[in-house]
Amino acid sequence: MTDKSARQLSVQHIKEALQAQVVVGENLADTYVTGIYASDLMSDVLAYGKTGSALLTGMNTIQAAISSYMAEFKVVVFLRGKKPTDDIRKFAQEKGLVVLGTKADMYDACIKIAQIDGQLSASAKTAFGSKTEREKNIAAHKFSIDSKDFTKAGMISTEIKSILNAIGYDPVLVRRVAISTYEGEMNVVMHALRADVSLKASDKDISVVIHDEGKGIPDVEQAMQEGYSTATEEQRALGFGSGMGLPNIKKNSDLLNIASEVGKGTRLEMKFFIKPAAK
Amino acid sequence: MKLKEIIDKLALTSLSNLEERDVQGVFISDMLSDVMTGAKPGNLWLTVQTHTNIVSAANLVDAAAVIVSHGKKVPENTIALANRYHVIILSSTKSTFELAAELIAIGLKNQ
Amino acid sequence: MPKTSCRHTWEMINIHYGFIVTEKCYTCEKISTYYSFEDRPPLDEYREGEHFWNVMESAQSFRFDFKCRACGQIVPFDELMGLMMCTGCDEECQVEKLQKKHAAERTWIYVAFGFLPTDEHRQLSREKISILEDFFNQRRKSSTSRIKIVSQELVKKYATCFGEVIKDVDMLSLKPSEGK
Repeated sequence: MTDKSARQLSVQHIKEALQAQVVVGENLADTYVTGIYASDLMSDVLAYGKTGSALLTGMNTIQAAISSYMAEFKVVVFLRGKKPTDDIRKFAQEKGLVVLGTKADMYDACIKIAQIDGQLSASAKTAFGSKTEREKNIAAHKFSIDSKDFTKAGMISTEIKSILNAIGYDPVLVRRVAISTYEGEMNVVMHALRADVSLKASDKDISVVIHDEGKGIPDVEQAMQEGYSTATEEQRALGFGSGMGLPNIKKNSDLLNIASEVGKGTRLEMKFFIKPAAK
Repeated sequence: MKLKEIIDKLALTSLSNLEERDVQGVFISDMLSDVMTGAKPGNLWLTVQTHTNIVSAANLVDAAAVIVSHGKKVPENTIALANRYHVIILSSTKSTFELAAELIAIGLKNQ
Repeated sequence: MPKTSCRHTWEMINIHYGFIVTEKCYTCEKISTYYSFEDRPPLDEYREGEHFWNVMESAQSFRFDFKCRACGQIVPFDELMGLMMCTGCDEECQVEKLQKKHAAERTWIYVAFGFLPTDEHRQLSREKISILEDFFNQRRKSSTSRIKIVSQELVKKYATCFGEVIKDVDMLSLKPSEGK
């Protein structure tokens, strides 16, 4: 087992394993982490820490919180009963960084997390099952987007990311799905009225279908060329509109089917294949 | 557990002179202040620190050996000092967390 | 300290984390060190009479007391700034002479040093140094090595001593070391 494997570890799991107190982030118990980094050297955290990780450290200074945030860590666990200071709490609250405190020392913490992780990995293996020819369905979800609500744009791809991470798919694969879904979501918000999104995940592939009601795409081929932008001034100001994102979706997905009718809408089907795990 | 057994099972590289040692428990920290207050005699000390003062800390707390993780390069002067003062320095390219998981897997409990 | 007949076995209690601040006066070049209990080390320059103090270094450190498990006696160690291991840098130094003498039996010499300037701070008594030594030796169960702790008074030239101070260095540096 390495810390690079797909994780289903959540803040709740870590909290229970370490009998920790949640100092900041009571409402973020469902946050999932993609790896564990055990260190007191913040320069390493910044240079080598991976996005979405949890930090285990005895260094309870503001630098630990800042470095974790900059490295896009989700959680910081302060060990050996060291209390996070007020400036750490304040910073973490502002940035949405979860902070836990535990009496455990670093080896203890590693042991306990490794145990839980082992249990979770084992159950993930049974979800994927042994080698059978029949495709096993794992999850199916439906969502809807209303393009009037700009501020919620991106929430569905975030949720899909959480769902897939929780199941235990490879984080790189999940990131590709999330990016593609995000681009698709943004397209709906910019060019359509509303859309239905469906997610189907099996042990063979993950499929995301975005079916919208909107003006449709007159020339799909042209839209596929990178840099073609139809975003309005307002949308560009918010950072959208460096192209319709279709080329980006094509880059990140394994299969892309686009069907569109002007005046009616567009149906985007994206498929991502699950590669068999390397032995 | 014998140090040699741990070195073999975890495929650790030895940077200093080696000798037979009995290992009891593991201590992980990169803060020497924590090592002084928390490490127990016979502990295997895991750290990314490579400064000469790890020799000083290791002997004070009677660590069985030091494992430098994350593939950190240990400078010659640290190894030279370690050899003079009989501190064993081992190296691994694995992360601290990975090493901890392997140590638990081979049965090294916390003491 | 009251004399007792107890053969003390010591444990570290009241462990408290803080910073050791090293200051230098840029007028007279005097060096001063002290322990700070603050969350963050005080970094501002300030004036104190004729002195203009600048912070040169602050290192994370800790403070503790010892308690005897048997009789409950508590011994504070506020005078202790740190410990350093003799690395044998000066043949004329008493500490190195001791280290050479004890090397074969693997007794390592450590120097307990107090805050600077030494004439303005209460330094560790011989008795306390002995207690400190006992603590680290008592913890060596089946070990083949021992510790001997001496006072910094034995150091020939403290200013140029190459003893390995046990302290955290570069903890706040942002430059990562080679590795992963």
